[in-house]
Amino acid sequence: MTGRPSSSNDTGGIERRDALKLVGGSTLAVALAGCTALIGDESDDSTEDADVPDEPIEAGLQTFTEGAPAVLGLQAQYGAETAVRRINDDGGVAGREIDLDVVNEGDEHIQNYRQFVDEGKDVTFGPISSGGHEAMVPEIEDRGVVNVATDGTVTTLYEESFPDATYSFRFQNHDVMEALAAVNQAVEVLGADSIDTYAGINPNYAFGQDEMALFSSGIEKLTGAEEVYSGFPELGADDMSAHVTEVNGTEPDVVFSSCWGGDATLLLEQAHANGMFDSTDLLVGPVLYGSANDLSADLVDGPIYSGSRNFYWDEPGTDRWTPAADLVSEVQSEYDVVPTAHFMSGYGAVTAWATAAEKAVDVLGRWPEQDEIAAILEGHGFFTPAGYHTIGADHQGYSNAHFGELAWSDEYDAAILENVSVFAPKDVSPPPGTVSGDWIDAW
Amino acid sequence: MSRARLSAENLPTSVRVVLVVLGLGVLLAVPDLARVTPLSFATIHKGLLFGLAAVGLNLLLRHTELVSFGHVAFFGTGAYGAAVLATYYEVSSGLVLLAGAVLAATAVALVVGYLVAGHLDIYFALLTLAFNQVLFAFVVQSSFFNSTDGLSVRVGVDRPSLLGLDQLLVSAGLDPVQAYNYVLYYLTVAILVVVVLVTWKLVNSPFGRALDAIGQDRTRARFIGIPVERYVWIAFTISGIYGGIAGGLFALLQLHVRPEPVLFAFVSGEILFMAILGGVGTLVGPIVGGVILVYLLDLARFYVTYYHALTGIVLLAVVYFLPEGILGSLPALGAAIERRRRDPGLVRNDVETVVTSVRRSVRRAVTTVRILVFGVN
Repeated sequence: MTGRPSSSNDTGGIERRDALKLVGGSTLAVALAGCTALIGDESDDSTEDADVPDEPIEAGLQTFTEGAPAVLGLQAQYGAETAVRRINDDGGVAGREIDLDVVNEGDEHIQNYRQFVDEGKDVTFGPISSGGHEAMVPEIEDRGVVNVATDGTVTTLYEESFPDATYSFRFQNHDVMEALAAVNQAVEVLGADSIDTYAGINPNYAFGQDEMALFSSGIEKLTGAEEVYSGFPELGADDMSAHVTEVNGTEPDVVFSSCWGGDATLLLEQAHANGMFDSTDLLVGPVLYGSANDLSADLVDGPIYSGSRNFYWDEPGTDRWTPAADLVSEVQSEYDVVPTAHFMSGYGAVTAWATAAEKAVDVLGRWPEQDEIAAILEGHGFFTPAGYHTIGADHQGYSNAHFGELAWSDEYDAAILENVSVFAPKDVSPPPGTVSGDWIDAW
Repeated sequence: MSRARLSAENLPTSVRVVLVVLGLGVLLAVPDLARVTPLSFATIHKGLLFGLAAVGLNLLLRHTELVSFGHVAFFGTGAYGAAVLATYYEVSSGLVLLAGAVLAATAVALVVGYLVAGHLDIYFALLTLAFNQVLFAFVVQSSFFNSTDGLSVRVGVDRPSLLGLDQLLVSAGLDPVQAYNYVLYYLTVAILVVVVLVTWKLVNSPFGRALDAIGQDRTRARFIGIPVERYVWIAFTISGIYGGIAGGLFALLQLHVRPEPVLFAFVSGEILFMAILGGVGTLVGPIVGGVILVYLLDLARFYVTYYHALTGIVLLAVVYFLPEGILGSLPALGAAIERRRRDPGLVRNDVETVVTSVRRSVRRAVTTVRILVFGVN
């Protein structure tokens, strides 16, 4: 989307004022939605007269920057940096630019958050790790500096463990949404009547256990299928052949795997090597596509469907949706990768906070306190190139969930998804105030 | 090792008293120093706790000359002891959690110590490493310990209570998080002082001398009637208890315990490095080493991209330039500086020595490369 539109005809019939209103009322929200070209670069800043400090906003992001999990972590970093770049190019949040510090989350989630707070950060983002996120939440509540988690998506976090959080938020869809998207995708591909048995190979920690439990509940309710095998290899395992052999022995109709990063690549390698796709009709993996830039044409061959959380870069298609096309082109030229859902985890977390902070300045006429930004974030809606997102009263982000068939693109030299299905949040997550397990049980 | 100890012991009593008072003063002033400087209070606190574990490791290393590669096992056992009490039994008293940590670590140290006390050198090192890894693997695989996600040390979202002292500070107007951290820090300092005093008393007792004898020659020690295995077992257990106390306090500080930071064998290596960095031949050197290394490991990554390399460079610098560790080298460094102050001509000799050494190293490297490329002839 280049050049400046001069009339509504140039913007597909959308007037500048309408565009502003649609995406949240400020040029910042428009820029982060990737629609700046719709309104040009004229300022329409209602926060211009607000009492806002001159200093830049100090922000910290913890994500995996090294080791196997960096496959996801670097995407989140690229996403957060891209959002910050766009914010600063647009003049900042209510005129304040953002300085973003990035640190490897490792196993030091609490320590990292404390250090950020001690350094005087105005906001923190991350982490990727589910266990790390769960460990951080009480600390966030104690310290009172808003954290918008990029991932760390265990469903029970805000449903059961910390239902009354004030300062802790999460942008990315939680596990129930991708596990149920996987259930729906399996039913869509094979048909409910054709699914009698299922198996699972999932990483042995909170995330993998949570995903498997939710997938099991969902698929048993929808199809009456029976679990024939469930294995939990260690995160970062160097061999999954024993699990593949078990699957081959039980010949399930569907295999579910929430393996990610290097584990996803290893699973696909060993599944192909051991003929797993001759023993099952379908593999559904909510985060296999997270390794899009590390997969090869051989690995994506077969009945393999992957989720892409709340963002798939070609949905809506880049030939129809220029914000996505602009984003892909920017990411490829800046980082030489295809953006995955974890890119959006970083981009969306920053966008959620920045648009909420600007809204707060607009309402208050001054820079908001932490609890005021937290209050605005509850129920906050905003756009990114992935579409519309909301942060619920439960502090959980809700967006469309994506699932599609893994394929190979020579053009991008990376894996892509074809026949992408989009599931609305209401179809894959419980109504507000309801625990996911209870909701699925009531189907 | 004995040279450094002699140097420290040779310091006049008045100097030693001044150093002790100075050290205590700095320890007590850390929260205030951190308030007015960019120093990280939480990192120094964490460093002191790992330093405490390193003091325990050093008891074995310095006196019995046994290298443990698995000492974090006791640190982790202590941390998990506290976490299990908080998570499953809803124990909210910080002191009870600490007592649980010490009990758990003592039990594990007694068992492991009994099984390794009769072994020497690399066998001892490998056995301690093996027990460490068995414990790590057990916790990682166990749903009771919540695998790699670990356990909280809170009851609900509440921090443990510290004898009500934290609440007292809160009622005096202090922020609850700050109050808790201050009370816990001063509790750590008090325990640290007691541990150092106990260790000092211990190493200067007949038992400590017997450990020295065991370290020098086990066979001779046995011939003069020292029950070697039993004494090593006792020393090992005491050393493990120190680790357990440190782990319990660490759990109270972090409020969440995960296996990698408190049980993984690499952390055992870090504790060993802390002792070497601070000075194996000194009593409090491992504490200094603990603070410095934790500071490097935790905070360098916020400022330096290749922070792992930075840690390696520090290790190399210590091995090459301060083989007695930071504290262990202070007397020798002090004496050398004093000599050069009196005779500046010595500095020229130093420069010549360095230049000669570099020249010799380069010549040796060129010769090695020549042999590698062209062969011996």
